[in-house]
Amino acid sequence: MRRPVVAALVIVVGILLLADFLVVNESLGEIAGLVIDAVILVAAGAALAGVVSLAWRRGYDLWRRRGDPIGAILVLVGIAAMLVAGLRPGAEGAGDPAVGWLVAALLAPIAATLFGLLFVTTIVAARRSLSGGARDAVLLVAAALVTLVLLLPVGGEVGDWLAQAAGWTLAVPVAAVFRGLLLGIAILAAVFAARTLLGIGATDD
Amino acid sequence: MTDRRHLVERGAPALLLLALALAAIVPTPSGLRLDSADTEATERWASALDGLPAEPTILVAFDPDLGTYPEIRPTVRVAIADLLAMEARLAFVSLTPEGRALLLAELQRLERLDVNSARLLDLGFVPGAEAALVSLADGPTARVRAGAIARELATEGSAAFEALLVVGGNDIGPRSWVEQYVPRVDPRPVLAITPTVLLPEIQPYLASGQLDAVFGTPRDGATYRRSAELGSLERLREAPEPPASGLLLGMAVAIAALAHGWIARVARAAGGAGREQERP
Repeated sequence: MRRPVVAALVIVVGILLLADFLVVNESLGEIAGLVIDAVILVAAGAALAGVVSLAWRRGYDLWRRRGDPIGAILVLVGIAAMLVAGLRPGAEGAGDPAVGWLVAALLAPIAATLFGLLFVTTIVAARRSLSGGARDAVLLVAAALVTLVLLLPVGGEVGDWLAQAAGWTLAVPVAAVFRGLLLGIAILAAVFAARTLLGIGATDD
Repeated sequence: MTDRRHLVERGAPALLLLALALAAIVPTPSGLRLDSADTEATERWASALDGLPAEPTILVAFDPDLGTYPEIRPTVRVAIADLLAMEARLAFVSLTPEGRALLLAELQRLERLDVNSARLLDLGFVPGAEAALVSLADGPTARVRAGAIARELATEGSAAFEALLVVGGNDIGPRSWVEQYVPRVDPRPVLAITPTVLLPEIQPYLASGQLDAVFGTPRDGATYRRSAELGSLERLREAPEPPASGLLLGMAVAIAALAHGWIARVARAAGGAGREQERP
């Protein structure tokens, strides 16, 4: 019962948006606008629900004394700090200086630190995969070595040559592989969409 | 494993951090540079901006992510300063929470540096990803508050924007804007600044002319920053520039560590093959 409803919704909304894209009609545009606004509201609601669910889950874990209590406290304090900074009486919402400070002085540096750690952990992971002896790991590390050499920030003729080689590597082999992946994903998405439209599920295979 | 080797392995990350900090402090040797002699991206950028009318209104889609933003941040700051130097009016919008957070930090930086706030408009955060792009194509009037740009948007809708600048990240980038927004509005120059990881997916759009100019690699960004003349807005430039010596050191360490592991692996394989041959 559920599958035909979803399929019908997808078909109706899809045809409506396609018709609005192809045909200039005010009434059609207004209906399509309503649908798009509904999608935006659902997305906003889903984001809020995600935050509430996270807070509820972490609070419940803390109350039941299970999981990682320090992590749960940090998550709850983080959510509370951001809410207080933006919603306290007299605050300017997301544009409040306190919210900006939390983002610029805490959130961005913490994220940058975590990504900085990737430098060390990636090298360690690469060396471990090499010691495992897998042939694809050797190939992967060799490609990484070549890429690193091409991106060295060297000036002069050597630097120009390296920059040209790096540009060619990005534009030809890397782009070819990446576009192949994108095409594969697009074909899979099209097949999945067609199956949804036709109401074909896993049980029909 | 000996105690000495164990000590070296434990202390290596701290030593690396110390060396990187030192490299960031000491002056960069003249032989090291991030920018390149290839100025094609910079020329395309300048050509796209040259075609704009005086005091253009530009929509800036600001959706970088926290992980890759440091790669493009110096270029983004110079690009914003460059647009303000040509008397452009900038309307910022974000479609991702991370982009919104980073935009707020950037807007506060512009405020601290005494940028004329009448030239900036914050259109806020719009949830809904692709649906939000379609909604923005119909006009962002519902989210507009006050000011000259706001009045212009209220009367003209999205037609008020004479160019689009997309600061992309992992979630929403130039590809989404070209696919969802651009076909629904009148033709206008589309510029983009993205981390390198997005370059393979946006190159076809650049080649087809759907994107007018892109800074998609650190080299392109550094070349643009070197050539940008910001006049009285030089203060908006990120100072100091990312140190090339620090980058070189980090990359050299990575190359050495990976090469060592690779050589050790090849040597082990060769040793194993030799023992196989010695067996009767």
